[in-house]
Amino acid sequence: MTSIHLENLGKTFGSFTALKNMNLEIADGEFVALLGPSGCGKSTTMNMISGMIEPSEGEIRFGDRDMRGVPMSRRGVGFVFQNYAIFTHMTVYENLAYGLRATGVAKAERERRVNDMAEFLHLTPLLKRPAAGLSVNILQRLAIGRSAIMEPAIFLLDEPLSNVDAAFRAVMRTELKHLQREFRQTMVYVTHDQLEAMTMADRIAVMDHGKLLQVGTPIDVYNNPSNVFVAGFLGSPGMNLIKGRSVMADGVMRVDLGEAGLSAPLGDALSRSAREGKAVVYGFRPEHCELTDGDGLRLPVNFVERIGARTILHMGRDGHSIKGVFDNRVPVRQGDIVTLAIDPSNIRLFDADTGNAIAEAH
Amino acid sequence: MTMAALDANTPVMEHEDTRDSRRLGLWLTFPAQILVLFIAVFPILMQVYISLTDWSPLDGIGWWQAHELWNSFANYSDLMADDRFWSALWRTVLVMAICVPCEFLLGLGLAILFVDDFPGRRFLYSVLLIPMMVVPAVAGYMFFMLFQSGGPVNDILSFFYGAPVTIAWLSDPDLAFFAVIVSDIWQWTPLMFLILLAGMVGVPEDQLRAATLLGASWATRFRTIVLPRMKTIIIIALAIRVIENFKVFDNFYIMTGGGPGVATETISIYIYKVTQQELIWGYVAAVALVILIALSVVSALAIKRMSREVSQ
Amino acid sequence: MASIAFRNVTKRFGDTVAVNDVSFEIADNEFFCLFGPPLSGKTTILKLILGLERPDEGEVLIDGKPVNHVSPARRNVAMVFQNLALFPHMTSEENIRFPLVERRISPDRIAPRVADVVAKLHIGHILHKSPAQLSGGERQRVAIARALVRDPVAYLMDDPISALDARLREETRVELKRIQHEMSRTLVYVTHDQEEAMSVADRIAVLENGVIRQIGAPSDIYDNPRSAYVAGMLGAPAMNLITLDPGRLSALDGALPLHAMNVPDGATRIGVRPEDLAVTSAGEGSSSPVEVYEVEPLGGVTVVTLQAGETSLRAMVRGQPKIEPSSRVALAVAEGQACFFDSEGQAVTA
Repeated sequence: MTSIHLENLGKTFGSFTALKNMNLEIADGEFVALLGPSGCGKSTTMNMISGMIEPSEGEIRFGDRDMRGVPMSRRGVGFVFQNYAIFTHMTVYENLAYGLRATGVAKAERERRVNDMAEFLHLTPLLKRPAAGLSVNILQRLAIGRSAIMEPAIFLLDEPLSNVDAAFRAVMRTELKHLQREFRQTMVYVTHDQLEAMTMADRIAVMDHGKLLQVGTPIDVYNNPSNVFVAGFLGSPGMNLIKGRSVMADGVMRVDLGEAGLSAPLGDALSRSAREGKAVVYGFRPEHCELTDGDGLRLPVNFVERIGARTILHMGRDGHSIKGVFDNRVPVRQGDIVTLAIDPSNIRLFDADTGNAIAEAH
Repeated sequence: MTMAALDANTPVMEHEDTRDSRRLGLWLTFPAQILVLFIAVFPILMQVYISLTDWSPLDGIGWWQAHELWNSFANYSDLMADDRFWSALWRTVLVMAICVPCEFLLGLGLAILFVDDFPGRRFLYSVLLIPMMVVPAVAGYMFFMLFQSGGPVNDILSFFYGAPVTIAWLSDPDLAFFAVIVSDIWQWTPLMFLILLAGMVGVPEDQLRAATLLGASWATRFRTIVLPRMKTIIIIALAIRVIENFKVFDNFYIMTGGGPGVATETISIYIYKVTQQELIWGYVAAVALVILIALSVVSALAIKRMSREVSQ
Repeated sequence: MASIAFRNVTKRFGDTVAVNDVSFEIADNEFFCLFGPPLSGKTTILKLILGLERPDEGEVLIDGKPVNHVSPARRNVAMVFQNLALFPHMTSEENIRFPLVERRISPDRIAPRVADVVAKLHIGHILHKSPAQLSGGERQRVAIARALVRDPVAYLMDDPISALDARLREETRVELKRIQHEMSRTLVYVTHDQEEAMSVADRIAVLENGVIRQIGAPSDIYDNPRSAYVAGMLGAPAMNLITLDPGRLSALDGALPLHAMNVPDGATRIGVRPEDLAVTSAGEGSSSPVEVYEVEPLGGVTVVTLQAGETSLRAMVRGQPKIEPSSRVALAVAEGQACFFDSEGQAVTA
């Protein structure tokens, strides 16, 4: 088991900068998700950890071992590819045994370990089957088993669930997390799906355009996003972000949100850090708003989306799209005008120019 | 006619067509099938017919009248007793048994070198493909010149040996055989290289990476991933060369004329000589048919093997 | 504008029955969703409407008229394909105009039709771009515009947004609903995504092996599934189906008490939606057989996977509660928030 240290890591391809100044410490036995849209540099980071590509600058250490120049075959990392890279010209057994065989593990030992792994992943009845033509769900388990059988200290997974169907994905999410909790391997998981990152990881590293934006526990990153990108990227739907201007009215700080009206007074802590007359982005989570008869944001309901247990109200006018998540019995219809109340403790403010969160002053 | 028909013809056809449309398709292609059948089958039937006669163009009667010279299976029994035919056939197989493995190994080695990028790769690649583009007759003439007793090959040997070397390459039976084989390998290794390289590039990168990350060495990866994945293309490459090599003619004929004696006489040269010099076409037809059947059996086996691979 | 109806339609391919005695009616302007797992017959039903397949038995009607023997071209039904099939060498505008130009419609009649569709789909700003320059969602809209510009009586979509990523899917489905509303045309929509089906459809037909198991409004099917199969198809995480303790008013060996419930006769299983399963800490030293297997915070809600003997359950709790893996919990379900199924998997009511 090993910790991973990334120091000032960077990678350029010609004139294109794929990754810049990445600093990340992954503790021994930790499950970290690299989360971001395509092209954010998450796969590049992963490929550098595995040794598939060499960094242009910076350093990668496993524990206190510098990985510069160490070929990928000797880094001892397990890697699960997005397309699984199953050896389709071999049987399931041969796939599982491949690494043991290549590294010269004795036959008896090999058989025992393959059978154990097959048992564990429910692949035993399929051992003699050719790997070609198996379903995606099985290939996925096989890919994990093939790497896990080598008992790598570090496990890297590149969007392993993006090709499987929704129901199986939900099951695998739980299973993968449970597996990692039991084996305590250091796990790095690349995904563009915030749901996977939220549900599985001990910590999430959110990336965009080759930059690491925020690292923290899922709940922490979800509750206190460091900038507007992170705020909008996490959550389903993402955080509501409305442009406005901080104003002082009746001695309390509020945000002028244009058509929607004035916000409720900001909490004390935010009031102290938000200067008056500043362009800000006013953010709150869709599930943190309530319908009220009193004061609040007045918004027209454009669309009511009822999805089983929850109802999403799509609100706002002229380009504003504000979403609220309610339970399935909310008595609202398309065309209604509703008033939203948001608890001041759930409001997040961002600087409209930099996009960075405005911290609460204490 | 509306857009629906156009939409309808594009990508929905995942499942089987209805039986009606399949039958219609059969009828529509029927005339073309008849034509193809005629083009392919007619010459063969004509061959079979002539091979059962003593017909020769010198007899002054058309080939369709050849039945007047009917000799049943005499040509075939002559063939069985024809030592020159059997030795030509044996020689052809020997050429094949030497040339094809050499070309394969050289081609594979070159493909391994060229699968990864290196400076000057594109240029060298083009240079390597030149022999394949040379007309075989011209290549034959080139090697004819190279292997003259006063030619460049002997000059180079003299340079290293330190004294004049005057080996009579093309007059000695063994050396002539060696020389024609060198010319064949020179000309056809590039084709093998081209096909094998295409196959090697097609091996999925991720599988190789996965194997590397599982601790496999280069040799292990080559043996367990690259070669098995190239199996089909290797069989195709070998089949092409085996069939082509069986028909080898131009450069051999120009370099040695099949000689000295019959030292380099392959089956094609033998057929050519019997046709053009001895003009017994009934006999030639019999020889040609026997070869056709032999080659068909070889290709059928290769194709069967290939389709089994592909279906896996 | 058109209604579409199937009357006892059966379609076989060789030995497999792709569509088995299916009857339904789609009203004019309805957003109708065919929902089911792969190979359940959804796409075959689309093809039967389009006319690409003919029924072996039964009748397909468009606007009340039988169309079994009407060719696809004369049905004037448009299709938006999964892979969109835009012409890459044309701009968006040329793509949209194409069906009209192809039908030799005079240019002065083309312009207003294109303008109308473009306005409704909000794609004026991307007309000069080629498909390669568009985002997935934009390409989607251009493809829809191309299908709509012909002014078809109904349009069909086969899983049109499954290729988009999760966030874009959430936005596009709302957009689709708006477009359908503005175009006021009958829309038949195929999907295998339950959330998408519930979000967009006026009515859903849930399919299994070529048979329609239930048709109804999304909330109706969600609240009152007619069978365990349908109950399991809608909702994520899926409804918990728990075997009742024989002869007792409880499930999970007493861990889920149902004293307050009116359990109907013949019921062998209880179905509880994850959001209706109340989870409370069982306290120190509890002997509750229900153990927390895994906790997944989604931010707004938390999904808790529970293990009770051999049975795996999921509960969805609002907010970010403190629940530790491996701790023991107590379960409860309120009256009226459960369904009951008999041994055949059919819903039973008291």
